[in-house]
Amino acid sequence: MVVLNITYNGLSVDYPLEVDYRITDHDVKRIAVEVIRAGHVKGLQIANLPQNTFDKYVVDRFHGPQNKGERIYLRPRVPFGA
Amino acid sequence: MAGRIVFCGVGAVGSQAAMLCRNLEAELVFIDFDRVESKNLLAQAYVKPSVGKNKAESLRLQLANFHGIKAEAFGVRLTRDNTSTLLDRATLLVDAFDNAESRLLLSEYARAAARPLVHGAISADGSFGLVRWDERFTPDAEDEPGQATCEGGAHLPMIGLLAAALARSIQDFHTKGERRDAMVSLSGVAVSG
Repeated sequence: MVVLNITYNGLSVDYPLEVDYRITDHDVKRIAVEVIRAGHVKGLQIANLPQNTFDKYVVDRFHGPQNKGERIYLRPRVPFGA
Repeated sequence: MAGRIVFCGVGAVGSQAAMLCRNLEAELVFIDFDRVESKNLLAQAYVKPSVGKNKAESLRLQLANFHGIKAEAFGVRLTRDNTSTLLDRATLLVDAFDNAESRLLLSEYARAAARPLVHGAISADGSFGLVRWDERFTPDAEDEPGQATCEGGAHLPMIGLLAAALARSIQDFHTKGERRDAMVSLSGVAVSG
């Protein structure tokens, strides 16, 4: 199991997911849209979330602290220090 | 002084984080070729008399005049030709640049010279920010070329939150050698590492 952390619209929410850590970035984005639309992600329930919402997002993968599981982060790009 | 912390880019995130590091017993160094514009006063640590002046030099003067803190300033653009000269004595590098090219240049130098480097970065819509150490960092490109940066005042609270997280990570490294990452969103600051 991995924890998918989705950051959208300024909110960041963890969602435990029974998938392989190595799933593709495309699948991570597709799954994120589906679970948000379905109302499974607490605090991020948007029934009409567009399919392309996460097209320009970045997928990061990290091992949790002290080997406590694997985490996948779906987040906006952060190009600026402005 | 127990260290030399070099802030590369002192715009919104860099200038605010630098101000929050004025308590450290370290040499603070600022590098930025840009000048302060009126619109910068809303999101960056600058004051009205600094408008028109170089950002690095303005920050140095503000720290000296308002807080009695000495710092160094280099009002130049960081390039391959001057990285060694400007960064050689750094004990910590802080990246708060606003473009992937400069971030990459800094990463290349830090990895080649074995210098610790922490990055601070914010999304264009000001809804999300990252503090991440170089070993786990890949610079993001803009969503589209010429995308507007969050240089106005619209995102000041998020910039403040990110700058505080970056300053905390800098201080934890400087005092304890810890390298903490942070993800900053409206729902809070998640620290790891």
